[in-house]
Amino acid sequence: MANPMEQFAVETIKPLEVAGYDVSFTNSSLWMLIALATVSAFLFVGTWRPQLVPGRWQAATEYLYDFVRKMLDENVGPEGRRFAPLIFSIFIFVLACNLLGLIPWIHAFTPTSHISVTLGLALIVFVTVCVVGFARHGLHFFALFWPHGSGIVLGAFVFVIEFLSFLSRPFTLAIRLFANMTAGHVLLKVFGTFVVALGSFGALPYVFGILPLGVNIALTALEVLIAVVQAYVFALLASLYLNDAINLH
Amino acid sequence: MPQFDFAHVFWPQVAWLAVFFAVLYFGVVRLTLPKLGKVMGEREDKISGDLSAAKVAKDAADEVDARYHADMNASREDARKAIADAKAKAAKASEKSLAKATASAEAELAEAEARIAAAVDAAQGALRDAAAESAQAIVAKLTGGEPTLDAAKASVAAHF
Repeated sequence: MANPMEQFAVETIKPLEVAGYDVSFTNSSLWMLIALATVSAFLFVGTWRPQLVPGRWQAATEYLYDFVRKMLDENVGPEGRRFAPLIFSIFIFVLACNLLGLIPWIHAFTPTSHISVTLGLALIVFVTVCVVGFARHGLHFFALFWPHGSGIVLGAFVFVIEFLSFLSRPFTLAIRLFANMTAGHVLLKVFGTFVVALGSFGALPYVFGILPLGVNIALTALEVLIAVVQAYVFALLASLYLNDAINLH
Repeated sequence: MPQFDFAHVFWPQVAWLAVFFAVLYFGVVRLTLPKLGKVMGEREDKISGDLSAAKVAKDAADEVDARYHADMNASREDARKAIADAKAKAAKASEKSLAKATASAEAELAEAEARIAAAVDAAQGALRDAAAESAQAIVAKLTGGEPTLDAAKASVAAHF
């Protein structure tokens, strides 16, 4: 019986090395590439010939783009629209990785179930936030961590806490996505093994496998929901962090 | 968990993530989304333009409607005045013709009265002449005098 963790194994497809670093093309890379190809196809088809009255594909891409723009409008304000392409890229890439990884039978791999990938994405957000914050406010950006109208001792104390919490943001962002994806896939695999184990009960074959199968169907629906919600949460938190950098509260 | 085997999974994934995300951001999203944003902006402009055009047209229609109602009221007022004028004129004309008819009738009446009076006078004159002649004859017969016709006439006139 397959170990539930086996689905997260990174298998090298083509070994590569650049400047002493192992950058082999793996199944993780392959599924990121599939996600990229899917998103590209979706976007190129949707914006092939933009019309005032959109067709189906254009309406779908517009819906997603408008969703991200509205999120930025609400959480950042008018200046947030400049970052719509970045937040859109993050959102749609995470969404594609999450959803494609749920496809059964084809040995799908979920890159977002790896903390290396989610941390990479979170660092893109974090670095952007730092660059935007310092570019706009200079050293005044540190005022973000200083509580308004408090004494110097309490202020310094809160400053340290706020600063540490700021530094922990990429990790919480990365771990939230990675943990959600990993937990969901483990659960699906565990109930999948239950189906096999109970269904192969010799005296009464198949019958007892039905219950865990039903659970697995329900869990799959739940995982689709989680895949979408976590992509949204990732993009939402990224825009909230951007808001800090742009508006300093 | 394979995820924490960082020595083997970190760099291969992060390196390819960097490559693919760069391609996605610069090669796909940066190329396609501005096109979409442009057409969405155009649509918003068109809709708001159409809405304001519709508002202008509605305002114009409202103005025409108001003018129509004002014109309507004015002509109704004019018609009412014209009717009143005509009525007054007709009343005046009938009054005039009535007065004229009254006047001519009165004139005829007066003429007739005058004629009657003349006839009465003539009749009375004839009667007086006859009375005077009778009186002259009676006096001549009674007294044998011969009073003149004029004296008889004067006497008759004095008594009647």
